[in-house]
Amino acid sequence: MSSPFAINGGACVAMVGKDCVAIACDLRLGLQSLTVSNNFPKIFSYGDVYLGLTGLATDVSTVSDLFRFKVNMYRLREERQISPQTMANLVSTSLYEKRFGPYFVSPVIAGINHTTGKPFICGFDSIGCIDFAKDFIVSGTASDQLFGTCEGLWEPDLEPDDLFETISQALLNAVDRDALSGWGAHVYIIEKDKVTKRLLKGRQD
Amino acid sequence: MDSLLGSNPTLASNPAYSFSKAPYNSAADNKEHAFYPYTDNGGSTLGITGEDFCIIAGDTRSTSGYSINTRYSPKVFRIGGDDETGEGAHIILSVVGFAADGTALKERLNAIVKMYKYQHGKKISVKACAQRLATILYGKRFFPYYVTAILGGLDEDGKGALYSYDPVGSYEREQCRAAGAAASLIMPFLDNQVNYKNQYLPGTGEGHDLEPRQALPLPRHDVEQLVRDAFTSATERHIEVGDGLQMLVMTKNGIEELYHPLKRD
Amino acid sequence: MADRYSFSLTTFSPSGKLVQIEYALNAVNQGVTSLGIKATNGIVLATEKKSSSPLIDPPSLSKVSLITPNIGMVYSGMGPDYRVLVDKARKVSHTNYKRIYNEYPPTRILVQDVARVMQEATQSGGVRPYGVSLLIAGWDDGVEPETEELKDEGLETDAEKKKASGKTGGILKGGPSLYQVDPSGSYFPWKATAIGKSATSAKTFLEKRYKDDLELEDAVHIALLTLKETIEGEMNGETVEIGIVGAPADHLLGYEGVEGAVGPRFRKLSKAEIEDYLTNL
Repeated sequence: MSSPFAINGGACVAMVGKDCVAIACDLRLGLQSLTVSNNFPKIFSYGDVYLGLTGLATDVSTVSDLFRFKVNMYRLREERQISPQTMANLVSTSLYEKRFGPYFVSPVIAGINHTTGKPFICGFDSIGCIDFAKDFIVSGTASDQLFGTCEGLWEPDLEPDDLFETISQALLNAVDRDALSGWGAHVYIIEKDKVTKRLLKGRQD
Repeated sequence: MDSLLGSNPTLASNPAYSFSKAPYNSAADNKEHAFYPYTDNGGSTLGITGEDFCIIAGDTRSTSGYSINTRYSPKVFRIGGDDETGEGAHIILSVVGFAADGTALKERLNAIVKMYKYQHGKKISVKACAQRLATILYGKRFFPYYVTAILGGLDEDGKGALYSYDPVGSYEREQCRAAGAAASLIMPFLDNQVNYKNQYLPGTGEGHDLEPRQALPLPRHDVEQLVRDAFTSATERHIEVGDGLQMLVMTKNGIEELYHPLKRD
Repeated sequence: MADRYSFSLTTFSPSGKLVQIEYALNAVNQGVTSLGIKATNGIVLATEKKSSSPLIDPPSLSKVSLITPNIGMVYSGMGPDYRVLVDKARKVSHTNYKRIYNEYPPTRILVQDVARVMQEATQSGGVRPYGVSLLIAGWDDGVEPETEELKDEGLETDAEKKKASGKTGGILKGGPSLYQVDPSGSYFPWKATAIGKSATSAKTFLEKRYKDDLELEDAVHIALLTLKETIEGEMNGETVEIGIVGAPADHLLGYEGVEGAVGPRFRKLSKAEIEDYLTNL
């Protein structure tokens, strides 16, 4: 339990639907078994791209701020929004820079590429190896549980409303079997020209 | 001579012999020997009850480390039946964890259940058998059977009964339970699909006022489908699960055995 | 003590000029003329290849260079300075971009990076400005001008219209772009331009010939006509060098059968190709 990835707890999941993507996280922040906060979101938005970060909370904050800086610089330099694919490579290279002293985070990216109109999700290990997935990406202390629920509930080409139901059930039921995750959730449903953010109450224990 | 040795500190302070230490072979050096009595043979099991039946399932893969020992090593057993065919059994048991302990436990419970019948002239009830299994496990409290057991059958009212255990005999009657390597993957899926956890009836309120969807006992067909889905999902994401799915379905008409192939990669 | 001698050599004159930069521009204006023309579907870069001696082997000389698969560059001025800049441009396109984003920089980003290199030489100690002007031509993925116009006329929603034509920089807009970079580090986007010895007359010529709806083929033709006005010696496949940014040249990939692989858009015309154009002049 002294793994830096499991001190604060937390879970994140992203899914692909039909012309839409979803990303969701829990809200718990803990110190081992002690819950410190029930309002610690782990999803951050960078224009059209959404980044979920689980792992060591201090690194979650640091890394999310680092990418706020990097993406803002990109926007100023290039006078355009960063695409999910470019963001994925930026995250990968940034994490690998710290190959021998890594940030203890497991990032997840979700977004729609506005040039191609195609949904995009991917995940990373803490040193930047990208996992391009066509279906779903999970991360955090409830990742085993999420693998089980996602593999069981997900199906291809879900419409936004069904995708919301699927990702929400996958996350809620997964975190209910993980003592380090839970206490409510944030769910983003990303469509081409609309993003819907919903707050799930969930079990408060 | 003294000065000669004194000029060489290694020779002076560390002579190559000793009167106080036991002789040893420096080439072979000291060896540490250890015996590890347990191995994890992977795999997963799962039990679900319905109104008048009980299903216990398990994959048939046996592993040690990254190797596959065999693709067909059953983890679910009939208890108290005929030696060869299992005919006449009225209790089902699954064991997952250390396969040798699993076999030993199954053999022992089987013998005890039979002895009970010979001595009492009646079949043991599932409830009694469940308690007896806990005693067996606790009896080895300080050198446990390294297994997670699930016991199933029909209770006095003919309803499906399922008992789940930890390796030292702590047990509980439940509607459904997953155990073994992929338990963490399967269990939340079961919470959701069997007990309808986190499901609410639309339009019954806002937030915590929402009415939870009531969990009703599922029909056998639905349960079998859920078990298959649970195992195909677990096979997809867990390397220790796969090859085959064995299901024992206990109804008032006896025990039926089903087998479905799973991915072998 | 050592820093006494590391002051910038480019120091303001009392009248506010940086004479070193003006000298560098003089070097450019003595250089062989180069020109670039942007067409609807590509860009052409052209220059004259002069050899001081008949003993020089012309094919081994190269003034038009590939920087990234979609960006090429030509110069007027000092050859050795240019080669250094080509090296640096290729290097920064990787260190500042491809190794971070796993994609090549858009043309304007590369132009800015090269311009920064050139500007630094006007403000650093112990160096002199680069004695070259560059023409940098590239193709960017994104919304192309034609499709954008279609969108404006079409049934697209207001939001999409805004997105497509939101910025002016030519970065959001994909398609061809042509830039000139000077020794000072200033850069300009052009539809067509020329640099070097006969830049002025060449530009006058281009002003007359340039149209907004040029195709790449016409642009190559006009480039050669312009060059013909200024060229001193004979015009043939060995004395003229042309680089084009056009459709992806999949035959240059070196392999085939890989789905989604796109060839480089920038390529140099072979001697035979140039001579084909010259015969049709």
